[in-house]
This record gives sequence, structure tokens and C-alpha cells, in this order.
Amino acid sequence: MSDEQVSNVSRGEMLKSLREMHAASVEQTQALLREQKQMQQSICQIIRETPKTVPEIAAEIGKPSHEVLWYIAAFKKYGIVVETGKCGDYPLYQRAKETQA
Amino acid sequence: MENFNVDTLVIGGGIAGMQAALDLADQGFQTALVDHEPTIGGKMITLSKVFPTLDCCSCITTPKMSSVAHHPNIQLLTYCDLQSIQESDSGFRVAIVQKPRYVDAHKCTGCRKCEYECPILIPNPYDRGLGAYHAIRVPFSTAVPQTAVLDMDNCILCGKCEKVCPTQAVTFTQKPETFEVQTRTIVLASGFELTPLEAKKEYGGGLLHNVIDPLMMERFLAPTGPYGRVLRPGDGKEPTSIAYVQCAGSRDQSLGVEYCSRVCCMYAIKQAMLISGALPMAEITIYYMDIRTFGKGYEQFYQNAQAMGVEFIRGKVAAIHEDDQQNPVVKVELTEDGRVVERTHDLVVLSLGMVPSPGSAGILELPLGDDKFISVPAPNARPCHTTRPGIFVTGTAMGPMDIVDSIISASSAAAATSAYIRAHQNGQASPKPQEEAVYA
Ligand SMILES: Cc1cc2nc3c(=O)[nH]c(=O)nc-3n(C[C@H](O)[C@H](O)[C@H](O)COP(=O)(O)OP(=O)(O)OC[C@H]3O[C@@H](n4cnc5c(N)ncnc54)[C@H](O)[C@@H]3O)c2cc1C
Repeated sequence: MSDEQVSNVSRGEMLKSLREMHAASVEQTQALLREQKQMQQSICQIIRETPKTVPEIAAEIGKPSHEVLWYIAAFKKYGIVVETGKCGDYPLYQRAKETQA
Repeated sequence: MENFNVDTLVIGGGIAGMQAALDLADQGFQTALVDHEPTIGGKMITLSKVFPTLDCCSCITTPKMSSVAHHPNIQLLTYCDLQSIQESDSGFRVAIVQKPRYVDAHKCTGCRKCEYECPILIPNPYDRGLGAYHAIRVPFSTAVPQTAVLDMDNCILCGKCEKVCPTQAVTFTQKPETFEVQTRTIVLASGFELTPLEAKKEYGGGLLHNVIDPLMMERFLAPTGPYGRVLRPGDGKEPTSIAYVQCAGSRDQSLGVEYCSRVCCMYAIKQAMLISGALPMAEITIYYMDIRTFGKGYEQFYQNAQAMGVEFIRGKVAAIHEDDQQNPVVKVELTEDGRVVERTHDLVVLSLGMVPSPGSAGILELPLGDDKFISVPAPNARPCHTTRPGIFVTGTAMGPMDIVDSIISASSAAAATSAYIRAHQNGQASPKPQEEAVYA
């Protein structure tokens, strides 16, 4: 085994033992991650083709609008979603890559 | 971290603590500045603009934060908790715990590659929870130090951050480290918190999404805020009618906060003016009992807001409920004619008051005043002296005040600290503080 392979093995074991040590919080966070991935998928799917407002997205995915806004703000910050204009008093959001393409 | 000696230890890296540390360090005193957050800057770095000049807050605070970090006489200790304090012959021996960042601060360059790779989103406290950041992140773009911190309670230990780090700075095995600072003096600048948003149940704070606290509005008005503009958090609508409820957390016996928090009238007027700029079509109403504009240029500021069309309604807000469009409905008794009316707005800001930050007073064994802020026995003659010789207090740790007064008070605490150190160097004992009579 090369030095790199050895260090990869020990790194993997170290992470595994740390995961065991923090089992409760890791489990809780994994559940949170699943929820967040699901939310990202649903939101991005809806606004891939057509920009939508927060209440429109919320109505389509059946989640409260304040929760959807929290995700939209996060996705906008990290470049996943962009603002593309307004519909009445509501900004419109669209999946970023689609708009840039 | 090795133990070390300083002339003074400043607790709290808000504007008051930073100013006190800089003043002392500029005089040649070895200074340590400790903050329990991963960055210095305090509340001020989260504000949009400052009254009464409407200067950009970040433009004033960021250079100060940077001066603190680069000053040769200041040792900056962020993400550290005070553990204990013992009086010694030459001052105080303070035990401090460096909390684990799970990142080697010497290796981290603040490139944020770890942050972009991390899959978990968590509420960002610098945006009052209305924005998000990742479980590993640099707190914000102008944070000092620019060092990442990992929240182990929200980490799945996937190792992505460690893998992507170009300097191998991520260290999952970091542990808390305790070290001691021997100091001759202490300056306490631990600042304030807002009264809780949910404290007055009848106002619906914490329950109604479109009833917010004033620091949330500061973030909406800041270019780096969670939405990059003013939107209401309930559904992302751009509000066209915004109301402020004054004295929503001060001058209120039922909350145990009987004093005036001094800054609420001014920050509400400031925000109203900034909203007028950001949303020219918006109607802004301020419900108030009396307007207190005590500082230099403040009354003019108030008059400017009136001239800009901000509506000031004198009355007592009794309750706030929500209609079926998530619009807060304010029920107010008008002082002018005693009528009780209901008015509907898109967004309501509760002008909450200031209460002291919890924590450090207990460790330093300092008595509190009736208002729960640190007691100052001779406020006229020695405004920054606490009951313990060698320990000084400054900024909003001693009572509600604005930035101007916090800076003045910080320089005053630095002068008192410097005089104390010099007197002790020359072998003079400092006189014991005498309590002044307070006439209520
Ligand atoms: C909504 C709002 C708007 C405002 N706008 C203005 C304005 O426009 N103009 C103006 O003049 N004033 C304004 N103010 C007032 C201004 O925010 C304060 O005067 C100023 O921030 C006080 O600074 P400080 O250093 O005393 O406290 P803080 O900013 O609270 O700093 C305290 C620091 O101490 C740290 N700390 C706390 N406890 C501990 C501990 N136990 N150990 C280690 N560290 C600790 C904290 O992390 C923090 O960094 C506003 C206030 C509010 C609420």
C-alpha cells in the first residue's frame, strides 16, 4: 500500500470512530440532510423551467411559505437559485444553472 | 495555547471592547481581547447604517476589527469562554477555554472551500436565523478572524470539508483547551441582548412570521442580509405597509424592564428612513408613547423623518393578530381621543429593548444594579469603575447606550484602566470607590 492509501484507510477509520462517538447528533443531522435534499429537489424542479414566487412554490410542494423562503434565501446565497424579476409584490426565483445556460 | 501575561484583559469584542482594547494597546499596554463568538464585531457589525449620519456600519466597524487583529499589542482570543477568575498579588488569574473550531486556525486561509462543499444548511445567527449558512463556515465575509468554524452538533462527519481543504486545516479531533491569562486589570464589555421577541404574548412575536425584531430589519436593510432586500419573512412579499411598535420591550413593568432603552426611538426612525429609500412606495407608521431624541443631531433626524412622510401615531398598542393573508393587524388606543382602532400592515417591527448579555458578571463576581446591568457605585465621579478594584466596565454592559456613547465610555474605561495600572506600577494604591446616593 502507498503512503496515500495508508492515510486514506486511517482517515476513514478515524471518521468512522468519530461518527460512533457522536452517534446521536450524526443520526439527527443525517435526517435533517435527507429533508434538506428533498426540499432542494422539490424546489429546484418546480423553478427549473418557470420562475415562481415563494407562495407559488409553497403551494405546489405543500410546505409553509416561510420555510420555502428560508431555503430560497439559502439557495440564492450559495448560487443555486437566482432572482429573475417580480410578480406583483413578490420576487420571482429560478434555478440558477438554467438561467445562466 | 500557552499561558501568558498581559496588562489588561478586555472581555467582549463589540464596538466598546474593541475601542477600549485599541486605546490601551496604543498606549503600549499589552492587551488581550476575548470574545465567545468566532468573530469580533458584536452587534454593530450586523447593523445596516448608523443614526444620525446614515454612514455604512460595516465601513466603520470592519477597519476597527482589522486594527484589533493586526495591532502588535493585542492578542485576539475568539471563540473562547471565561471559565474562572482568581485574584492574585499582581491582579487576576483568568482561566479561559478555547472552544474547538475543528479547524486549525494557523492553517486556515479563510478560502471557504469547506463551506461550499458542506451539505448541511443551518440557520445563520448573524441573520437572526432568517438566512442560512453551512455547518462549516466562515461566519460572514468580513469576519475577524477569517477562520472557519465547524458546528459538530450539525455535522455528519462526511469528511468532504477535510478533503477539499487546500491547507489540511480541518481537524475533527480538536478538543477544548484551557489556558490561563495573568492580567493586572479587566475591562468588561460584554454588551447587550434584545428583550425576547416573544416576551409580550399579546404582540405575537415569535408566533406571527411577519412580526419581527429590529435586528432582523437591520439585516434586511444591509446589502449582505438574508434576502438582499426588504421582504417579509412570512412569504417573501415586498411590504408596502410597515409599522413600528415603540417601547415593545422597555418601560414595561410586566417584563421587569422598567427603564428606557434609549436607542429604540432612534433606530426605528433610522430604519423608517432607510425603508423609505429602499421601498419608496411603502407607507411607514411608528406607534409611540413619546419620542426620545436625546443626542446631538437626533431631534433634527426625527424632523427629517416626519418631513419624508413617516407617519407618527401617538398611542398604546394593545395587541397584534394576523388576518388570513398573514398581515399583522395592530390594535391601538389613540392618545389623542382615546379611540381604539385596528390597522392592517404587511410587516410589524417590535422596537425591543436592551437587556445585559448573560454570563460574565457571575464569573467576575460583580454585583448588578436594579436594572440587572453591572453596578457602577459612583456613576458621576467614576463612571467605569465597578465595585472590584482593577475591574472596569464599559459600553452596553453597564446600561443601554448608542454607539457614540459606547465609544466615549470605552475610551473613558481605557483611561481609567491606564491610570490604575500606572498607579500600581508606582506603588500607589487606588482609592476605594465610594457609593453615590441615587435619588429615585
Ligand atoms: C436594532 C438596533 C439598531 C441600532 N442602531 C444603532 C445606530 O444606528 N446608531 C447607534 O449609535 N446605535 C445603534 N444601536 C445601538 C448599538 O447597537 C449599541 O450601542 C452597540 O452595539 C453596543 O456595543 P457593545 O460593544 O457595548 O455591545 P455588543 O455589540 O453587544 O458587543 C458585546 C460583545 O461581547 C461579546 N460577549 C458577550 N458576552 C461575553 C462573554 N461572556 N465572554 C466573551 N465575550 C462576550 C459578544 O459576543 C459581543 O461581541 C442599535 C441597536 C439596535 C438593537
